[in-house]
Parts: sequence; structure tokens; C-alpha cells
Amino acid sequence: MATIWYGLLGLFFAAYLVLGGYDYGSGLLLARARTSAERRAVLTAVGPFFLGNEVWLVAAAGILFGAFPMLEGELLSGLYPGVVLALAGVLVVTAGVQLRSRPAHARTAWDRAIIGGSALAALGWGAVLGGLLQGVPLHEDGHVEGVGHIFTPFAAASAVTLLTLVAVHGAAFLALRLGHAQIGRRLVPLAIAAVVATTVVGLLSPRVRDAVQRPAAAVPLLCLLVAALLVAGGALARGRPGVGFAATSLALVVPVALVGVATWPYALVSTVDPAASLTVAEAAASGPTLRLLSWLAVPLVPALLSFQVMSWWIFRGRIDGRAPVYW
Amino acid sequence: MDPLLLARLQFATTTSIHFLFVLVTLGLVTLLVYLQTAWFVTRKPVYERLTRFWGTFYLVNYALGITTGIVMEFQFGLNWSGLSRYVGNVFGAPLAIETLVAFFLESTLLGMWIFGWHRLRRGAHLALLYGVAITAYASAFWILVANAWLQHPVGYEERDGIAHLTDFGALLRNQTFGMAFGHVVSAALTTGGFLMAGIAAWQLIRRAPDYEAFRKSLRIGVVTASIGITLVMSFGFAQFGYLGDIQPTKFGDEADKAGAAADFAARFGGSTADYIPPSWVGAPLGFMILIAFALMWIWVFIPFFYRDWIIRLKVPLYLLLAAMPLPFVAAIFGWFFRELGRQPFVVYGLLRTEDAVTDTSGAVMLTSFVGFTVLLLGLAVADWVLLARVAHRGTADPALGRRPDEPLPAPADRPEPVLA
Repeated sequence: MATIWYGLLGLFFAAYLVLGGYDYGSGLLLARARTSAERRAVLTAVGPFFLGNEVWLVAAAGILFGAFPMLEGELLSGLYPGVVLALAGVLVVTAGVQLRSRPAHARTAWDRAIIGGSALAALGWGAVLGGLLQGVPLHEDGHVEGVGHIFTPFAAASAVTLLTLVAVHGAAFLALRLGHAQIGRRLVPLAIAAVVATTVVGLLSPRVRDAVQRPAAAVPLLCLLVAALLVAGGALARGRPGVGFAATSLALVVPVALVGVATWPYALVSTVDPAASLTVAEAAASGPTLRLLSWLAVPLVPALLSFQVMSWWIFRGRIDGRAPVYW
Repeated sequence: MDPLLLARLQFATTTSIHFLFVLVTLGLVTLLVYLQTAWFVTRKPVYERLTRFWGTFYLVNYALGITTGIVMEFQFGLNWSGLSRYVGNVFGAPLAIETLVAFFLESTLLGMWIFGWHRLRRGAHLALLYGVAITAYASAFWILVANAWLQHPVGYEERDGIAHLTDFGALLRNQTFGMAFGHVVSAALTTGGFLMAGIAAWQLIRRAPDYEAFRKSLRIGVVTASIGITLVMSFGFAQFGYLGDIQPTKFGDEADKAGAAADFAARFGGSTADYIPPSWVGAPLGFMILIAFALMWIWVFIPFFYRDWIIRLKVPLYLLLAAMPLPFVAAIFGWFFRELGRQPFVVYGLLRTEDAVTDTSGAVMLTSFVGFTVLLLGLAVADWVLLARVAHRGTADPALGRRPDEPLPAPADRPEPVLA
């Protein structure tokens, strides 16, 4: 049961990276939009989906708290700086997008805030994923020592990698909704370079080598990530934004799967005391709580998904002059 | 600095800011449901203008509601990791349910509502707003289930110092839950009512062009506020009946207080004085009740609906404008009493606040506190400025619900100012 919930947690966080990822990617690409009309077009492309994207993060955090209370406290407090960075970015984007046109007095300032917030959110979550792969100084009594442990070249490289992945993903999304695919193609080599560089830094780092329990499973996932980026680049160049978007979405799911699989059976690896590492089973809530949540999740998760699919279906396709403009 | 104090300050600040927006969200969504239903049934254009105007106001407020809510959720893990370690099995469940059942759907449906004007059938569009309202109430429901458990833990057993869930139903039957939920929901209705009446009063004082819309808003606001304030006081006083029994150190008589404090001192160590909440904790309660009695006078305005005396006399309008901030102040005082009164416990009689705080340095906590407070306060102030602008601008052509293919309405289409 704990394994299923761990999978569900990964699914919700990966869905957040895919859906929230194109919010932030589009947010980053606001920097490339010269005119006010171009920027409005970018936000109209994100438009109806924006409010439904960030909820996946909130739901993932809810699952983390409900189903993995032990992990919740130790993961978030253990990676404090990364989480705070990401949250600050999330907050600024959330408020900025909704308020920039209400009324339009300070739009340029809000837009700069959205660009900065998007970058912070992507960097922050990248550092959190990197932090999970390199382990934290977790002690037997459950407390994590200090916060300095997260400031490593590997965490920084992971942060930058997620930033590039999100940017490519945003470009693919905008290609799908607005129809110009130029930027995405040029960003793909950058993302591949970042992935390769992070892999090299990770291989050189003894902490990452110790924390990764299953290198055999990690290698194919890394290959999948690079392959997805190559497909995305090719598809965007050939004017197939649908395929490109699917490929970049996959590229954002892979990092979550990689962290989950590579450190299995641990949810949080300790760098100071191997016995203190927290396994997924230990991190899970006790039986009655998981049973209660499972009974709820069986009807609920399909219902949640169907409402999201309904939203995607109603507002599908390329946007035109008749698209409702609100942000 | 002391990490415990900083973590508590941060929680108090974030929660207070969050709740100011939540009150408006919950109160206004109820009134929006009324307005859009009235538009759906009567097809009168005034209800369309009102739905779009109050909808815009609601959405600008909602932006900060989510923003501050996200911080709230993560703060538990960041600053209060002990809470999830010792009681997460029980306390985490209602919070997890809240995010999945309520917030997830609320936001998804709201996105469709904003962009669904003129794209969905009128009935489907109205149904979306009903969904938003129901999930907003569900959100308040589950959050208060969680909060009530912190006030009065039930339905669990303790093994090796960790609480395990035994009876989820007991969480829903918790004595501190039902009345508190009614109290919070009617407080939101009261706030929504006073806000609507106050803004309408402002527009009527400055003789805004859309007299018809703001006259209606004023009436709806005054009636809602009258009913709301009556309910809020009933649910509030009803809680006095059991409060002394389940939280003797907060609201018991002197003998009960001393007895409970001695019992806590024996179980958790320290002196009895450590378990008595600060003596001034009754003050916010007193102020809240004082404000509530003052707001009750709103009933007096209802007879003045006759021949629009409430507008023509002007004085009621100024009074309503002045009353607008009071429900917010009262709500914050109410939470101060509820939350400070159970100190030094985070889960009453089970887990002390100092045992729940994350074991981290004061510097980290200070950075986080100052950073988030500056960010959230900055965003909140920006939001209040924007809300004031939206309120000031009136009903003329808001972006929400504008037809994409239609030219802007000519000014002549709008009602002329009619005022005595």
C-alpha cells in the first residue's frame, strides 16, 4: 500500500512539473516577448489552465502530509533553502499572473516579477530534486543537521537543468498554442548539455554515488531523458508541436521517476548514518490512515482527473482572436 | 533569536494574512452564487453586471488567498516537522483530504468559470460556480476538522509516543468542530455582506452611474450581514458551553485551571505556571464580542429600505462604509483567542508547541520569517490596492465575461445617475 501511495505522490509531483512547468516555461519566455500584445498572447495561451496547474503541487504536498507524515517534516525541513526558493517563486508567479491586468497599471513590473518567479520556482524544485539524489545529513532521531549541505555543485547543476527543461517545455507549449516554434529548437541543445553536465557532476560527487542505490535503473532513465529532448528538438524543427510537447512533458516526468527509482527503497537517504536513512515503508503513515485515504482516493483521483481533462478539452487547440482574454 | 518564537510569529503572520482573504472568498462566493443564479433565472442585465463586477473583485481577492494558502501548507513541514512526526498520522489525513477534495477542484473549476463565459452553455457555466462554492465550503470544513483536532484531540491512540488514527468518525463528531465551523462560515458571510454593503455605499455616496446595481448590492449586503452577524454570535456563544470542559486552562474557572495545569506539569514536566496561557488572552475575546454587538445594529437599517431612505438619508451609507474593516478585525481577534488560549500546546494536552518546532537554527528561521513576511505583506498590500481600484471603478465593462467578438459597449448603454 505504501508503494502505491509513493507512486501516487510521484505522479502528482510529476504532473505538477509537467503542468506547472509550462506555466513557468511560458513565464520565462515572457522575457522574449517584446510587445505588450505578445506578452498578453503568451498569458492567454496559458489562460484557462493556469489555476488548474498549481493545484497538483498543493495536492502532492497534501499526499505527502497525509500518507507520508514522517517524510513530510524531514524532507521539507531538510531541504529548507531549496523549498523556500521554489515556494517564493511559486507565490510570485501565482499572484503576478492573476493580478497583472487587474487593472493594467503596473503590467511591466508584474511581468518582470513573473519572469523572476518562474526562474526561482524552476531553480528551487531542481535543487530539491538534486538534494534528494545527494542525500541529507539525517540523524537517527529524525532531525536534519544544518542547511549548508544542500549548497553543492550537483544541486546547483540540477537546478539549472530543471530551468532549461522547463524553458524547453514552455517553448513547446507555446508552439502548440500559438504556433511559433523557433525558440524551442534553439533551447534543446542547451537542455541536453545541462543534463549531461549534471550527470558528470553527479558521477564525480561521492555523496551522489553513495546515495544512488540502483545505478542500473538510473542509466536507462537518463537515456530516456536525452532521447525525449532529441525527439522534442526534431519535432519542433519539423513543425510537429504536439509531438514536441509530449516529448518535453516526458522529459519533466523522468527526473521525478529518476529520483524515486534511484534511491529506492529509501525515500530520504542519510549521508551521515546509513541506518538513519528513511525507507518508503517507514515514512508512510500507519495502516488505518492509509486505508482511509485509499478508500477516498479510489473514486476521487479519477474524478479529479476527469475535471482536468474536461478543462483541457473545452479549451483545446490553438488560440485565435476569439480566445477569452483575462490574465 | 529563538527559533520557536520565530516559527510561531511566522505562523501567526501567515495565517492572519491568509484568513483575511479566505473570509472574503468564502463570503463573496456565496453572494456570487446568488447573483449569477438570479441572472440565470431572470435574465435581467443588472444581474449580469453585478456578477461580472463582484466576480472580478472575488478573483482579485482569490489570487492572494491561494498564494498565502500555499505557504500555509508548506509551513507545517518547513517549521513544524515535529507536528508531522508525532501526530501526522491523524492530523495529516484531513489536510490531505482538503487538498484533494476541495482545493484541487475549486481552482480547476474556477479556471473554467473565468474563461468559460460565452463558450459554455449558461447552465453549465452556472454549475461551475456552484462547484466552486461547494468546494470552497468543503475546504473550510476539512481545515476546521484539522484545527478542531489540534484544539481537542480525539479518535487516536498513542503508541511509542506517536499518535495513530483509530476512529476517523470521532474527528468529524469532535465537539470543538461543529460550532466552530458554523462560526467561521457565518463570519465569512458577515464579512462578505459588510464588504458588499460598504462598497455599494461608497459608490452611492459618490453618485456612481450604475445606481441600479449598487442599490441592489447595498440591499443584498445589508440583509446578508444582518443574518450573518446573528448566526456568528449564536455559534460563538454556543461554544462557551463546552469550552471550559475541554480546555480548562483556556476557559475554566480558577480551580479547574489550577487542576489542569498541575496535571500537565506532572505529565510534561516544568511548573504549573508554564501551562497557564498569558493572562491577557481574554482581551481579544472581549474586543471581538464588543465589535459583534456593535455590528448587530445593522438590523436597524433594514426598515430604511422603505422608499430607499437608507440611501437618501446618507448617514447609513457613511456608517456602512466605516463598518467595513470591523468584521476583519473581529475575526483576527477570534483566532487569537482560539489559538493563543491553548498554548503552550500545539495539540491540546498531547504535544507541546516547543516539541513540534523544527530543530533548526535561529538564523534560518529568521531569514524565512522575514523573507516570507515581506513577500506576503507586499503582495497583500498590492492586492488590497487593486481591490480598492476594482471597487472604485464600478460596474462599467470589467474584463471578466467580456464577449471576445463584441465592440465595447457605448457609454449611453449604461444607466444614467439617478439620485435624490
